[in-house]
Amino acid sequence: MLRLTNLRKTYGELVAVDGVSLHVRRGEVFGLLGPNGAGKSTTIGMCVGLVRPDSGEVNVDGVGSPMRHEVRAHLGVAPQALAIYDDLTGFENLRLFGGLYGLRGSALEERVQRVLDLVGLLARGNDRAGGYSGGMKRRLNLAAALVHDPPLLLLDEPTAGVDPQSRNNILDTVRELSKAGRTVIYTTHYMEEAQRVCDRVGIIDKGRLLCVGTVDELVREHGGKSQLRIERGEKSERLETADPVREIARVLGDGGVTGVHIDRPDLESVFLTLTGRSLRD
Amino acid sequence: MGTIAGMSALWAIARTDLRILLRDKAAAFFTFVFPILFAMFFGFMFGGGGGERGKIEIAVVQQDKGPAAEAFVRDLGKTPEILVKKVETEAEAERLVRKGDVLASIVIPPTFQKGFDDLFSTGKGPVVAGVLDPSRKAEVGLLEGRLNELAFRTMAGTFQNAAGMKKQLAKVREAIAKAPDIENSRKILFGAALQNLDTILNDNEKRESEGKPTDLGGAMAEFRPVQLELKELARDRSGPTNAFEVSLPQGIVWGLMGCVTAFVATLAHDRQRGTLVRLLSAPVTRWQVIGGKALAGFLSCMLVQWVLILLFALLFKVHLREPMMLGLATVASAYAFVGVMMLLSVMGRSGEGSAGFGRAVILVMAMIGGGTIPIFFMPKFMQAVSSASPFKWAVLAIEGSLWRPMTGTEMLLPLGVLVGIGTVGLWIGGMMFRRSTMS
Repeated sequence: MLRLTNLRKTYGELVAVDGVSLHVRRGEVFGLLGPNGAGKSTTIGMCVGLVRPDSGEVNVDGVGSPMRHEVRAHLGVAPQALAIYDDLTGFENLRLFGGLYGLRGSALEERVQRVLDLVGLLARGNDRAGGYSGGMKRRLNLAAALVHDPPLLLLDEPTAGVDPQSRNNILDTVRELSKAGRTVIYTTHYMEEAQRVCDRVGIIDKGRLLCVGTVDELVREHGGKSQLRIERGEKSERLETADPVREIARVLGDGGVTGVHIDRPDLESVFLTLTGRSLRD
Repeated sequence: MGTIAGMSALWAIARTDLRILLRDKAAAFFTFVFPILFAMFFGFMFGGGGGERGKIEIAVVQQDKGPAAEAFVRDLGKTPEILVKKVETEAEAERLVRKGDVLASIVIPPTFQKGFDDLFSTGKGPVVAGVLDPSRKAEVGLLEGRLNELAFRTMAGTFQNAAGMKKQLAKVREAIAKAPDIENSRKILFGAALQNLDTILNDNEKRESEGKPTDLGGAMAEFRPVQLELKELARDRSGPTNAFEVSLPQGIVWGLMGCVTAFVATLAHDRQRGTLVRLLSAPVTRWQVIGGKALAGFLSCMLVQWVLILLFALLFKVHLREPMMLGLATVASAYAFVGVMMLLSVMGRSGEGSAGFGRAVILVMAMIGGGTIPIFFMPKFMQAVSSASPFKWAVLAIEGSLWRPMTGTEMLLPLGVLVGIGTVGLWIGGMMFRRSTMS
């Protein structure tokens, strides 16, 4: 669906993206996970034709580079900034953006209603976006990316600064889109989100794509061992193991165990292993 | 994307910008209402005039080559506030007034010298006719004062010449002798008085030959030896002329400036709030994005102009003599100001920065274009600089189609300059926008 080949982008001395190559498959939700400033938004910018790469290329669905405006008709973008007009209503915003993609008349109205319903804003569609909460604006931002029903969606930090209710709505919407066969590229620095919605994840830091795989693959390869905490009355001991189930069975067989806690490695551990830093640093 | 779809996208962007403008009450007020109040204010207060005293340029047609006419024109040229442009025909002089190149045209008639010669016998000096630009009434007052002063000086100069004066006295004596309604006793008294004057003149003739100063001219301070018959340019034409016809063009151009100020920040706002990213990631070209914004600005400029024009036509009886030409002038003015808007809008990164920068540049344009300080009051180099301001050309084009009776050929210059400013602004603005969004 989307192929990035050896992408590189610099701003003066700063190397924002350094040799990123990636193939996003049709119908998958691909997470680009990395801390702030890792190069996620620049990569998205090159994917949608907003940023011209210094070298390398982006190919969308075999149709070509998104620098060509007709190729961008295949893409839906929810930028990290809230790219909606506060002075327009939800309906007006979506009519504008749908119109830019060639939707007209009843087809446009039908799509506007549908996506507003999908993001849970249909009842507020006639209100100006300026009066929406932060979470509602985020959902409208997502709806604007969906209004023309694109096969490839690029969501740049779509849950930044939203309330739990809106976050759940957005994550549920992403899963529904995936079920409907849409391809989604989802950037985030929240590993929980990546683990929850992404079929595969690429970890990016300082402009370089460090690894790509399913969450389980990454954890298995780079996450290290699980941590077990065994409690025996007042005492507790910590164990590190690659096979926590077998180790728990062994410990329980010894008797006297009053509690077992297991800390499995996750994407945070993967990032820590690969970079020596925390995702939230 | 096909042409129709491309136009639809362009129109969608334009419509959005207009809708946002109309929903911002403050911006809508300063764009649509403020210019109306501005034009009405100046219409009432100044009758379309207003101006300071400074160097004013007039066209002079000298049809009399006699010494009085020569002295008059020479002295006129020496007057510090006046710059004389000599032209051959009345038509040419009037054309210069119509174009706004000069404040007034003055015709020194072939009978100018004779008018002076017959001054004592007829009681009337020569007639100097002319045509004035009614939009510059304050300057006209100054001009009239200077012309009277010069006429007096010319007359005084003429009669300081003793031979000329004696010739005048001979004519007066002859007229008195022939007058049937003057009693003989009074004719004798007049004769004695004239004889005394003759003696003074003989003495003056002697003093002149000895190079001593004479004092005859100073005695004539109360004379108004030249009859000025100056009329306003528009009154040559049919239809009424009122103060609002003169103030309307200025009001319109201030309205255009309000539009520019309102729209100049839209691109920066789009950049700031992220909507520009969404517009640019849509299947539209960068030229369509900026074209949509330009279209919104253009439509807004046209709306402002025609609301003002129609309002003034209905409320203040402003006569629309040349609606087609006025249409062209408003289109060219809107186009020029949209070019300026585009150029300014790509320069700011933040909405506030763009708005502030835009206001500053527009104010300077208004100032150098004669919107706040009359152009004639500026130094010569600043007058040349003023030609770069669309304010000057827009006012001239609208005046030309409203009350300043300019021919189609004469309108080509302001219309052409406006189109040129618009094209340059749009092209440079478009290129800068393209470059800034292609990181």
